[in-house]
Amino acid sequence: MTTGHTEMGIKVVGVNHRTAPLDVRERFAHGAHEVPGALARVMAAGASGGVLLSTCNRTEFYLVSGDEPALEAVWSLLGERLPSGAPPVGGAREYGYIARDRDAVRHLYRVSSGLDSMILGESQIQGQVREAWEASRAQAGPVLHRLFQTALHVGSRVRTETGLGMGTASAASAGVAVAGKIFGDLAGRSALILGAGDMAELAATCLTDQGVQITLVANRTQERARAIAERLGGKAVSLEEAWPHFATTDIALCSTAAPHAVVTWERVGTIIGARRGKPLCILDLAVPRDVDPAIAQLENVFLYDVDDLQTVAAQATTRRRDEIPAAERIVEEETDLFWAWYGGLGVVPTIKELRARMDHVRAAELERALRELDHLSPEDRAQLEQFSQVLLNKFLHQPTIALKKAAEEGHGYGLLEAVRRLFGMEPPA
Amino acid sequence: MIVTLHLVALALYGLATALTLAPFMGVRPAPRALTIALPCAGAAIHVVGISQLTLVGLGPALSMLALCLVLLQLASEKLLRGSAVSFFAGPLATGLVGLAILSGLAPGAETVGARNTWFVLHVALSALGVALMALAFIAAALYLLQFRELKARRFGQIFQLFPPLELLDQLNRVALVTGFPALTLGVLLALGYGAQFSGGLHVAKAQLVWGIFTWVVLGWAVWVRLVRHWAGRRAALASIAGFCAVLLVYVALKLTQPGAERFL
Repeated sequence: MTTGHTEMGIKVVGVNHRTAPLDVRERFAHGAHEVPGALARVMAAGASGGVLLSTCNRTEFYLVSGDEPALEAVWSLLGERLPSGAPPVGGAREYGYIARDRDAVRHLYRVSSGLDSMILGESQIQGQVREAWEASRAQAGPVLHRLFQTALHVGSRVRTETGLGMGTASAASAGVAVAGKIFGDLAGRSALILGAGDMAELAATCLTDQGVQITLVANRTQERARAIAERLGGKAVSLEEAWPHFATTDIALCSTAAPHAVVTWERVGTIIGARRGKPLCILDLAVPRDVDPAIAQLENVFLYDVDDLQTVAAQATTRRRDEIPAAERIVEEETDLFWAWYGGLGVVPTIKELRARMDHVRAAELERALRELDHLSPEDRAQLEQFSQVLLNKFLHQPTIALKKAAEEGHGYGLLEAVRRLFGMEPPA
Repeated sequence: MIVTLHLVALALYGLATALTLAPFMGVRPAPRALTIALPCAGAAIHVVGISQLTLVGLGPALSMLALCLVLLQLASEKLLRGSAVSFFAGPLATGLVGLAILSGLAPGAETVGARNTWFVLHVALSALGVALMALAFIAAALYLLQFRELKARRFGQIFQLFPPLELLDQLNRVALVTGFPALTLGVLLALGYGAQFSGGLHVAKAQLVWGIFTWVVLGWAVWVRLVRHWAGRRAALASIAGFCAVLLVYVALKLTQPGAERFL
C-alpha cells in the first residue's frame, strides 16, 4: 500500500449556492465532457486524486492533495471562467471555500444527504454525486473512490432512516408531486406548456426529469417558445393553437405573463368536457393566475395554483427541518467511520518505518559504542544491546500508542503528518 | 392448537393494523419493513392454522376469507409501494379472524366430504372471490377519498399516505376482473360438488339468493368496467354501490331468513 495519503489530505475546493450568485455558478459549471480535462490540470499541479462535482448549485473539486499548488490550480481554472470585464479582486476564490480533511468528508456527506442543498433534502443530488464519481473514476484514486462510495451510502441512509427526503420542497417539484398523486408514474405522460418564462421552463424541466413528454410550448411570442421547445422537446405554437390540445394532454403547465386569465371556460370548457373523464392536471404557476378557477369544477380536472403548490412545499420543508438533527447524527457517525478508516490507512506502515529508522540508529550507535568498549565481556555486550533495545521500546511506546489511538478516533492523519515531519521520513515517490 | 394459531395471527394482524394507522393519530410512521413483516408473519401462522382446519362452517370460512384478504393486501402493497390498502384491509382482516374465533373453528356435524378437493376448492375460490371484491371496494374507497382531497386541494395525511388515483383505479379494475372468475368458479364447484357427492344442491334459499345476487352484482361491476369502459370516480362509485348492496342483502337475509346463520 502506498502511504501517499499520509502527507496528502482530503480537500474540497469550490463554490455553491450560498457563496456564489447564479450567474457565477453558471460560469463555473462543467459539462461531463469537461471534467477529465479540468481534473487533469489540477492533478498536474500536485493532486494525487480528484473528483469534480458540478451541478446547477455547486462546482466542487474533491482532491487528495497536500500542497497549495493544486488548490491554486482550481482557483485559476475557475477564475478563467469569470468575465474579463471586472473580475473580483481575489478572483474565483472570492466566491468559494475550502474544507480540509474531516471537514471535507463531512461536507461531501452533507451534500449527498441533501443537507447542503438549496432545497433541503432534495434527492437529485444523490444521482449527481454518483455521476460525478463515475465521470471522474479514472482520476479519483482509492481514497476518493472510498469517499464517494460511502457518500452514496450516507445519502441512502439519511433518506431511508430519516424523513429528510419526504414530500417536495419547491413549488415546481410540488407540482410534480401533485401530478404524481393523480397519475402515479409520470413517465410517458404528455404535458403542454403555456408561457415561456423561467418559471415555466424550470417547472417543465422538473416534469421532463420524471419522463413527461412536452408536446407543446405555447407563448405569445413564438421565438421564446421555440427556444424552450427545442431544449425540452415538443412544438412551439401560439396560444390560440394550444386550446384544442386540452382534449388530449395529461398535464397543462401555465405560466404566462398575461395580466388576466387566459385559460377560460369559454376557451377550453367544451374541449375538456370531451375527455370522457380522463384526468387533467392543470398547474397554474402564474401570478396573476392564468386559469379561470371555474375550470376546476369540471369532472376530473385537478387545478392547482401557486398558493396550493407552495402549501405542499411548505409542509414538506417544515417536516424536513425536523429531521435535520437525525440526518446530522448519521453524517457525523459515518464521518467518524470514514476517518477511522482513513487515519488507520497509514498508521501501521508509518509505525513500522519509524521503528525501523530508530532501530537503525540504535544499532549504529551501539556498534560505535561497542567498538570503543572492547574490554567488555560478551555478557556485558549482550546486556548493553538489550538495554538499548529496551530503551528504544520505551521511547517509542508512547508515540506508537498515541498514533494507534488517534487512528482509532479518526485523528490519525494529523499526527502521522507530524511524525513524518518530526522524524524526517521522506514522502514516497 | 388451531385456536392458538389463530390468536397469534390475530395479535400480529392487530399490531400491524395499529402501526399502519398510527400516522393518523400523529404518531411517527413505523418502518415499512415492520408493517410488512408483521402481517407476513401473521399470514404464515394463519396458513398453518387453516391447514389444520376442516373448511366447513362459518368460522373456517371467515378465517379463509381473512387470510385471502391479508394475502391480497400484501400483494397490493407491493403493487402500490405503500401501505394504504392496509388502512382498510388490516382492520377488516383482524375483525374477520376475531369473528372466526368467536364463531368457533371446530368442525361441525356437516363434515361429510369436507376433505373433498372439490369442496375445499369451492370454499377457497369463493373466499378469494369475496376477498377480491372487498379489495375492489377498498381501492374504490381509497380512490374516492384521495379524489376528494385532490379536488379540494387539501394536502394532509390522506394526500401524503394514499397512493395515486391511477394506481387505485388499476387496483380496483384488477380486483374486479380477477374476483369475478374466482367467484364464478367457486359457485360452479359448489354446484358440481352438490351434484356429484350430495345428490343435488342442498343449500338454504337465502344462501342461494345471496350467492346469485353477489355474482350478478360483481358481474355488473365487471361489465361496466370492461364493456362500458367506466373508469375513475364513476367506476369507484359503482364498486362501492355494488359492495354495499351485497352487504345489505346479506345482513337482511341473515336477520330475516330462518336457518341463515349456517352460511357465510
